[in-house]
Amino acid sequence: MNLIRYTHPSLRRHAPVAFGNPWGGLENEIDRLFTVALGDFSADRRFAVDIYEDKDNTYVRAELPGVDREAINVEHADNRLTIRATRKTMQGDTEGTLSFSRTLSVPDNLVQADKITAAYDNGMLTVTLPKREEAKPRKVEVKVN
Amino acid sequence: MSLFTSLLPTFSHSKTPGSTDEAMTPRVPSYSLRETDEDYTLTVDLPGVTKDGLTVTAEDGVLTITGKRSWRQPDGWTPIHLESTDSGYSLAFTYADAIDSEKISAALTDGVLRLTLPKSEARKPRKITVK
Repeated sequence: MNLIRYTHPSLRRHAPVAFGNPWGGLENEIDRLFTVALGDFSADRRFAVDIYEDKDNTYVRAELPGVDREAINVEHADNRLTIRATRKTMQGDTEGTLSFSRTLSVPDNLVQADKITAAYDNGMLTVTLPKREEAKPRKVEVKVN
Repeated sequence: MSLFTSLLPTFSHSKTPGSTDEAMTPRVPSYSLRETDEDYTLTVDLPGVTKDGLTVTAEDGVLTITGKRSWRQPDGWTPIHLESTDSGYSLAFTYADAIDSEKISAALTDGVLRLTLPKSEARKPRKITVK
């Protein structure tokens, strides 16, 4: 899966932070430049996602505080998983809407697209993408002579 | 009364830049503050924080909000890509005597904390009738 790293706004202001990696600073700086550059093309705000896997599923956990469940839209098509959400906000005394979206590349041949499920708890969305049988790790017995 | 003389965000940068603890330093959550004649409404985004992991204190003129994430990675899950941290959130405001700390009310819904901070009597706008 490829995606552009999200930088939390509170970290963006600081100088590049090395997470125990001598190249981390440069890497983060490049990511930041991409984020800034790509940010211009979309009016939607991005949000942080974590991706995990176990032997049966891939899981995407997204930070989406304060959105209505009906305002969350999860879609998988053309090798992409897109998560969209809208959130009501108060700007002064007028009510406004903020749009959020994030797209991850998830190859069609790895997931059972019709069995994708999502759950929303405490402002976190968890999308469960069941792996296809052929994408699961296989135990291969190799005879050593 | 201007917002900036009444409720000031406090940023405590006691950490040394580039220290290895950086990843575990609580991050400042995004928040918004609205003011009416009667009160301030503070809305703080705390995704992944439950009631048990949340502490709101008002002490010595400082309002502090700390949130810990309750979710832990289940056994058998392997992280592939991580953007969030387990470091939690921390936010502090200096309010001095701007709010009535006895009457603060709080609600946490879907990872959003909404605090209502009633203004202290002395700070409420008063209409003066001219005779």
